[in-house]
Amino acid sequence: TMSSSENPSTSLFREYLRIRTVHPDPDYGNQFLVRVAKDIGLESRKVKLSSGRDILVMTWQGTDPKLKSVILNSHIDVVPVYEDLWTHPPFAAHKDEAGNIYARGTQDMKCVTIQYLEALRQLKSDGSHFPRTIHLTLVPDEETGGHTGMELFVDYPEFKDLNPGITLDEGLASPTEEFSVFYGEKCPWWITVHCRGD
Amino acid sequence: IDESYPWWKAFSKPCNELGLKLKPEIFPAGTDSRYIRQAGYPALGFSPMNHTPILLHDHNEYLNEDVFLRGIHIYNKIISSLASVPAFDEEL
Ligand SMILES: [Zn+2]
Repeated sequence: TMSSSENPSTSLFREYLRIRTVHPDPDYGNQFLVRVAKDIGLESRKVKLSSGRDILVMTWQGTDPKLKSVILNSHIDVVPVYEDLWTHPPFAAHKDEAGNIYARGTQDMKCVTIQYLEALRQLKSDGSHFPRTIHLTLVPDEETGGHTGMELFVDYPEFKDLNPGITLDEGLASPTEEFSVFYGEKCPWWITVHCRGD
Repeated sequence: IDESYPWWKAFSKPCNELGLKLKPEIFPAGTDSRYIRQAGYPALGFSPMNHTPILLHDHNEYLNEDVFLRGIHIYNKIISSLASVPAFDEEL
């Protein structure tokens, strides 16, 4: 049961985990994310892709908009579940007595989306200002290869218009005290080979 | 000019100040970052989850609330640092 004293950031995280953005038919209505952006005071807009999917972009304008931006990227979709293998229902966001929250997407990667948003909420309410613009990009279909999401978006003028400097994106959990940080990724050869002509 | 370096400095500095031990690695699979890097922009993959078993795509995927909340604080510092990186020469 949800305690009335639960940290509001945790409650928001659990609310997001209950939205079934699960393949093969993710709920990409995005009303939740647009509502949170509005609540924090971020402008949000949608970029429609040729795949029919939307990219949601939220922006906190910097004081020196000429400078390259910081992009906080996250995907909205999650992979399917075999529900009978779960101890707790995978879209209930059950929190046990140890504070462990169980749900599809807790690690990959709804945690990060809410952490970005809640960090920006804190910074905004502290009255912070930064020279560089911060954009959140919330993308569909990463779990199916990104071919109908980010792979298309990077070729759109709307992406270039973000004036990207550094992008943060998902990493992985680490069982030890250390935090993993990835500066590149393994790219199977069959992704990079394009056969043209005869 | 390798632009990645000032961004890396700005990323790792607040992590050091928070006492986080970072382990730089190559991601074992593909994520959306590959499209961003292929388009010529640097990207870092980071989810602030330590002391957490790797359960992505697995059943009983979970995250501890305290790890989650600490992650907000970590991003607060990292985002502040990245958004404050002084202008590079070629930006002026
Ligand atoms: Zn992911």
